[in-house]
Amino acid sequence: MYFLHLFILALLALFSGIILVGISRKISARIHWRYGPPLLQPLIDVIKLFSQNSISHGFFFDFGIILTLVGSFILIFFIPVSNLYVMNSGGLIAVIYIMLLSPFGLAISAAAGANPNASIGITRKFLLSFAYEIPLLLILLSVMTHYNTISLVKIVDMQVDSGWSFGSGTLILSGISYLLILPAILGIRPFEVVNASQEISSGPLTEFGGKHLAFASIQHSLHTYAVLALFVDLFLGGSSLFGLLKPISSTIWGSLIGILVFLVKVAVLMIFCLFINAVFPRYRIDQAMKYIWKWPLLTAFVGLLIVSLLN
Amino acid sequence: MNLILILIISFGGAILTYLAGKISSKLRDILAVIISSGLFFYISSLFGTHFETKLWLNFLGFPLLLRLNQLAWIFTLVISLIGALAVIFSLSYIRGKEKTDYYYLMILTVNAAMMAIVLAGDLITFFIFWEIMSWTTFLMICYKKGPALKAGMKYIVMSIFGSMAMLIGILTIYTAFDTVVISELITKFASASPGFTLFTMIMFFIGFGVKNAIVPFHTWLPYAHAEAPSPFSSILSGVLIKIGVYGFILVLYVMVGVYKSLQLSSWLTGIKYTLSIIAAFTIVIPTLIAILQDDAKKLLAWSTIGQAGYIFLGLAFGTSLGLAGGMLHFFNHAFFKALLFLVVGAVEFRTNGIRDLNSLGGLSKKMPFTFIAALIGVAGLIGIPITNGFVSKWLIYKTLIIEHSPFLAFAALFGTWGTILYCYKFLHSIFLGQLPEKLKSVKRSPVNMRIPFFVLSVGIILFGILPGIPLRVINEIIVSTGLERLNISLWGLVSDTGILNTLNIFIAIVITGLIASFIFKLARRSRYVDQDDNYAAGAYVPKDKYNFSVDFYAPFYRMFENYLKDFFDILYDKIARTTEYLCDNIRKIYNGYVGNYVMYILIFLGILVFVQLKWSVF
Repeated sequence: MYFLHLFILALLALFSGIILVGISRKISARIHWRYGPPLLQPLIDVIKLFSQNSISHGFFFDFGIILTLVGSFILIFFIPVSNLYVMNSGGLIAVIYIMLLSPFGLAISAAAGANPNASIGITRKFLLSFAYEIPLLLILLSVMTHYNTISLVKIVDMQVDSGWSFGSGTLILSGISYLLILPAILGIRPFEVVNASQEISSGPLTEFGGKHLAFASIQHSLHTYAVLALFVDLFLGGSSLFGLLKPISSTIWGSLIGILVFLVKVAVLMIFCLFINAVFPRYRIDQAMKYIWKWPLLTAFVGLLIVSLLN
Repeated sequence: MNLILILIISFGGAILTYLAGKISSKLRDILAVIISSGLFFYISSLFGTHFETKLWLNFLGFPLLLRLNQLAWIFTLVISLIGALAVIFSLSYIRGKEKTDYYYLMILTVNAAMMAIVLAGDLITFFIFWEIMSWTTFLMICYKKGPALKAGMKYIVMSIFGSMAMLIGILTIYTAFDTVVISELITKFASASPGFTLFTMIMFFIGFGVKNAIVPFHTWLPYAHAEAPSPFSSILSGVLIKIGVYGFILVLYVMVGVYKSLQLSSWLTGIKYTLSIIAAFTIVIPTLIAILQDDAKKLLAWSTIGQAGYIFLGLAFGTSLGLAGGMLHFFNHAFFKALLFLVVGAVEFRTNGIRDLNSLGGLSKKMPFTFIAALIGVAGLIGIPITNGFVSKWLIYKTLIIEHSPFLAFAALFGTWGTILYCYKFLHSIFLGQLPEKLKSVKRSPVNMRIPFFVLSVGIILFGILPGIPLRVINEIIVSTGLERLNISLWGLVSDTGILNTLNIFIAIVITGLIASFIFKLARRSRYVDQDDNYAAGAYVPKDKYNFSVDFYAPFYRMFENYLKDFFDILYDKIARTTEYLCDNIRKIYNGYVGNYVMYILIFLGILVFVQLKWSVF
């Protein structure tokens, strides 16, 4: 049963990650009045990339890119989907830390070559994540303080019983703050500073080709999925649907519908981010940091203040 | 007898090594390694034992006591381990330099003194060895002369300030209780008045705070760590400043037993929050300052202050979980910080003393073992899962969340993200990016340097996967201080509010890693190209010109440069300069004129007569 969960969760994340990237390309294209590539184009690209030639700058170049993928892959086992969850060890704090693995791996891999563009991209990545992690940590802490647990599974369960935390009043400011920094976490415009292709020729990804790029693309889609799924679990009650699924929650149909509801929520969130992505230009890195440390940080801070005062 | 044996071996061994150096340098090297590693093995064999011995000499009528318990054992073990590894590392690091015998004498004496402090059973013994440690450390910091002398001076002035505060504390205790034996003080403190306890605690905290580099007593540390020889920096950062942690545990948990009575008396909660807020500042500000550093060792030194804040934060909370987190972080920090300082030492050794991050780069291919060691050390420092730093930080965060202090938890987590920034800067500026032309001929680190790398790296990973090994010992310490026993398994922690299973995470990483590398191998083989063969969107990347290291986090620097200064250091410097200026002016009254001196005497007598006539005091 455990391995079945593991397997389903992995497949679900891979599949929905790729579809999400596909949807995003399609929707962006429609906003730009283009036709856009087919929905499964990201998958086709990955398969194509695996058969292409690639270059390597040595052991750490390969090691880093594998570590990147591993980091994102493990992350999805920590994020419960409907009744499915594999790991609860360490709770949300462990999730925060697991999220470190993949940027760290990417950083090692990218800088193992001597390309200055890659190094610049990596420093931007760390600076941007430093910027958005500050409100993000406040947000996560307010959720953990509100529910008085560090376990993500328990947080989701409590929301199934008592309604979404986004609608609960106490956590609404934290939720809004998360929404404000969501584009930064996903690395899309207006925060597309890391891979700024016109400026530093796609930054950390510059030296990647063939299987390296394929790994980076899979990692990107997994990361997109994980970040959105985390929001859904924290604020949109996981797979709960206003208590409608409660009577059938223990049956197999209940879990299947639950997964579907979960994925729909993820997709809606993604589309929301895409609308922002499609119309905004790109910030400079310092502008991005200043923005994040203004409104999102303020809302997150006030959110945590409210939560800690109410407790 | 066992404890006296440790003292004899450690102190006697230091002198013996010095004398052996006069005969032959080879004999001295062998002796130093045998003594330091012998001590480690001997101490590890004493696991679980309890001893109490009296030294045969007295000091001013005070008997000198030694005792060994779990708390002392874990500290001596770490001290002897890091000491032995630093000595092994020194073999090639210090070879051919001047005053080598003196170097070994000092490094072994510092180790011996630290062990004696931890083993001390009364405060007089504690203080004597504390002073021996402080002074030998001073001599060791000044070893390189030049700027090192100034760093040493800064250290010793603050250290004396701290010791004097501690001496006042000890004297107060003696006059009040008529005893300085720690085991007797436990019962005495139980009935002491809050004001008295608070006063002695503050006195001790100043003493320990200076050693442990708690803000605002931290200003000596960056200079001292940067200027000391690298193997000694690893001792300084890994264990020496943790003697302050030992002191805190001794005062807070053993002697005063504050947290036993925490529930009873509310005035102590004020102290608890004051300490935690100081700790939070100690985490946040030094971490941000570390990001601005361009000197590899100064960066690590600021990071040490920040990490000391974590330990302190854990200890200040006084719950089982917090004490476990603090203790474990002390244990872990010794591993990864010692390793990182040794890494800098190896780089310094092979590049003829360069530790400026702006002029290094791309050494990962030239020094692969050192790079792997640095990678593991940095991972531990950040606290990436399956390294030991993760577990201890997890325990500390969990304490803070469970105790409803989300803002302190935020400070701690914020520190971690700052840590990532400077850690990556450290890693990138030394080992990644372009290799400067002048470093083309750098050789691999010598074998004796790889031994400490290996031992410490294995420790970091092993205690990250199986944190139960050190936690079991720490659990005994927790129980001995009267706190609740934690539910610990070999791979983590079980409790109602969240479990930790590091083995689980490890297996997941290994399996996904294996699958990913299998797919990676299965895919088309990639062509190996030189590091400098790069794609830059049609532009040419000149070799040796575009090493991205100066102004590494430029936007960050621009934002913070003006605010992130060590204001305390500036303040102390100002005080020092003002005092110097004042004294200089006072000196001017001695101008060599006898007539003037007669005038001073007459003026003084005149004042006396005036005072007598007016108020008739005499």
